[in-house]
Amino acid sequence: MPVRRFALPALLATCVFTSLSAWAAPYPMQLQNCGYAVSLKQAPASVVTIGQAGTEMLYALGLGDKLVGTSLWFNAVLPQFKAINDKVPRLADNDPSFESVIGKRPALVVSQFEWMVGKDGVVGTREQFHDLGIATYAMPSDCEGKNNLKGADGTRTAAYDVQALYKSIAQLAQLFDVQPQGERLVKDLRERQAKAVAKVQAAQQPNLSAALWFSSADLAIDPYMAGKNGVAGYMLQTLGLRNIVDSSEEWPTVGWETIAKANPSVLVIARMDRRRFPADDYQKKLEFLKKDPVTQHMDAVKKNRIVIVDADALQGSIRLVDGMEQISDAVRKLGPAAAR
Amino acid sequence: MMEATASARPSALRRPLHGAAWCLGAALALLLSVALGIAIGETALSPSLVLQVLANKLAGAHYAIDPISQGIVWNYRLPRALVAASCGAGLAVSGVILQSLLRNALAEPYLLGISAGASTGAVLVTVVGIGAGAISMTVGAFFGALCAFALVALLAHAAGSGGLRNSGQIVLAGIAGSQLFNALTSLIITKSGSAEQARGIMFWLLGSLSGVRWPDTVLTACIAITGLLLCLLHTRALDAFTFGSESAAALGVPVRRVQLVLLLAAALMTAVMVSIVGAIGFVGLVIPHAARMLVGVSHRRLVPASAMMGAVFLIAADVLSRTLIRGQVLPIGVITALVGAPVFAVILLQSQRRRG
Repeated sequence: MPVRRFALPALLATCVFTSLSAWAAPYPMQLQNCGYAVSLKQAPASVVTIGQAGTEMLYALGLGDKLVGTSLWFNAVLPQFKAINDKVPRLADNDPSFESVIGKRPALVVSQFEWMVGKDGVVGTREQFHDLGIATYAMPSDCEGKNNLKGADGTRTAAYDVQALYKSIAQLAQLFDVQPQGERLVKDLRERQAKAVAKVQAAQQPNLSAALWFSSADLAIDPYMAGKNGVAGYMLQTLGLRNIVDSSEEWPTVGWETIAKANPSVLVIARMDRRRFPADDYQKKLEFLKKDPVTQHMDAVKKNRIVIVDADALQGSIRLVDGMEQISDAVRKLGPAAAR
Repeated sequence: MMEATASARPSALRRPLHGAAWCLGAALALLLSVALGIAIGETALSPSLVLQVLANKLAGAHYAIDPISQGIVWNYRLPRALVAASCGAGLAVSGVILQSLLRNALAEPYLLGISAGASTGAVLVTVVGIGAGAISMTVGAFFGALCAFALVALLAHAAGSGGLRNSGQIVLAGIAGSQLFNALTSLIITKSGSAEQARGIMFWLLGSLSGVRWPDTVLTACIAITGLLLCLLHTRALDAFTFGSESAAALGVPVRRVQLVLLLAAALMTAVMVSIVGAIGFVGLVIPHAARMLVGVSHRRLVPASAMMGAVFLIAADVLSRTLIRGQVLPIGVITALVGAPVFAVILLQSQRRRG
C-alpha cells in the first residue's frame, strides 16, 4: 500500500533533513559575553588576539591558522605552539594600537583583559570595534566577578572560578564551531587538575597555610602577594592551602611584617623571565628570604618549605593547570610538616 | 659674683640655659617620636614586648622573645623610625639652605629638579630595564637626581652671569629641569610600563619607607648629620645672605664658595634621601617656615630647630601612614602633603596678619 511503501523512505528523509539542518545551523549565532552580545554570521575567517592567554587557547583549539595578529605577551609561547606561532605576525609585545589591530581586518578580536578592550580600554572600547563591524570577545576570567575600575590590577568582587576558564574555551570553540576540540581540551584540563588536587590530599598534610610572593618593586620593599580572590589565590585554595593574605585585590602589597607574623607553612615564589625589578629573579627572592633578619626566622624559610612556580602559570589561562601541577608536586615532595 | 653677673647681664646667662632647655626638650621629643614609631605598626605588638626587645638589644637583657617579633621591632621598625628622622631632618635643613640662599620663601629641595631626576632614574632601571635587575631603584634614582641637578646648575650658570646674583635664574632653571625629567618619566611609563610596574613606581614616587634596613639607616643618618653640621658651621654666612649676596659679600662672607658648598650639600642630601625613600614633599617647604615662627630667623637656632621639627614630623607622618587605614600602608608623601598644605596655609595667614 502507498503509505507503507513511502513510510520508511519518508522517515529516513526526515531524519537526514533534520540532522542536516542541525549541522548547518550554528550560524548566525549570538552569545552573551561580559555584558555585550557577540553576533557572528559565519565562522570568523581571521582573528587578532590581545593577550597571551587568548592566543594560546586558540592554538590549543587548533585554530592557529585563523590568527592574523597577536599582542600582549608576558613570556615565550608554550613550546608545543612555537612552530605555528612563528607564522603569525606579532603586532606588539605590549598593548597594540587600535589602528594596528583594525589594519589586519579581523572578523573577531579576542581580548584577555578588560583594561585592554573595555570601558577604559587602552586599545579601545568594544563599541569602537563593533562600529567597524568587528566582533569582540572578552575572556570571562577578567570580567566576571571583577571590578576593573577599582584597584591597579582590578579588584575581584567574587573569588576567581576556574569555570571561567572552561567557559572561555567552550565559548571560543562555539564561536569557531569546533566544539569537539573544545570539549576535549576542557576534559583534559579537568583531569589534570583533579590529579593535582588528589596528589596534595594524598600527601596527608592537613591545615597548611601558604603565601604566594610574585615580585616587589625593590628587593626589601613591601612585596606583591597573591590576594585571596585572584587566580593565584584560587590555585592555593583548590589545593587545600590557606592563603594568609586577606585582600580582595588581585596582587595587593602586603608588608613583610604581616607575612612574617602570619608565618605560613609554605611559601610559594614566582619564577619569571622578566628582569625589571631585582625581585623578579627567584634566586634573589630566595637570597632575600634567607638573609633578611626577620624572614629568616619564618618556619617556611628555616625548614626550606619554599615552592617555586612559573609566573606564567598564575593567570586565568590554560597554563593555570600547569601551575597547579607544579605546586602540588612540590608540596608533595616537602614531606610531612607540622600542621598549623 | 655669679649673681652679680647674672643680674648685670641677665640675657647672657639666660641664653645658654634657654638653649639647654630647648636642646633637652627637642631630644626628648625626638626620643618619644622614635618610641612611638617603633611601638605602632601594621601588626599589633604590645608595648611591654617592645621594651623587652629594646632591653635585650641595648642593655644585654635575656628576655625570651619570639625571634620574628624581635626582628620586626629591631630590624624593621627601628631603622624605619630612624630613617624617617634622618630624612625629615635632611629635607628640612635643605629647605632652610635653599630658602636662605635663594631668598625665596617657596624654595624647597625639589626645586633643583632632584626629585624629578630621581624618578626618571628609577623608571629607567625598573621599567626600561637598564642594568637588567642588577642595579636597584635606589642607585638609578641617585644618578638620575645628580644628572638633573647637574643639568639645572649648568642651565642656571649659563643663563645667569655666574653665581646667584639673580636667584630667579636658578628657580627658573629648576622648573625647566623638573618639567623635562617629569615628562621623561611619564613617557617611559606610558610607553613601556605595565600596570604593575607603573604601580610600583607610583608607590615609590610618593614616598615609601617600607624597604629600609640598618645599612640604609647608617647611610641616611651619616648624611643627615654631616649636612646638619656643615650647615651649623655656616650659620653666620646664612644670616648674612638674608639681605642679598652683595650685602653678604660686604659683610666679608666668601659668597661664591659658600653658595657652592651649601648648594652642593643640599643637593647631595636630598638626592640620597630621595633615592632611598622616594619623593616626600612639603617637608623642605613647610618645616623651615614653622621653625621660623617658633624660634625666629637667626640661623643659629633656625637650623637645628628645623632639623628637629623635620625629624619629628616625618616620624609622625610615617606612623599615620601605617595606621590611618587598617591593613593598608599609605604612601608617606600623601600624608605629608595632606598635613603640609593646610599647615602652610595657616602659616601664610598668620604671617600676613603679623605683617599687616
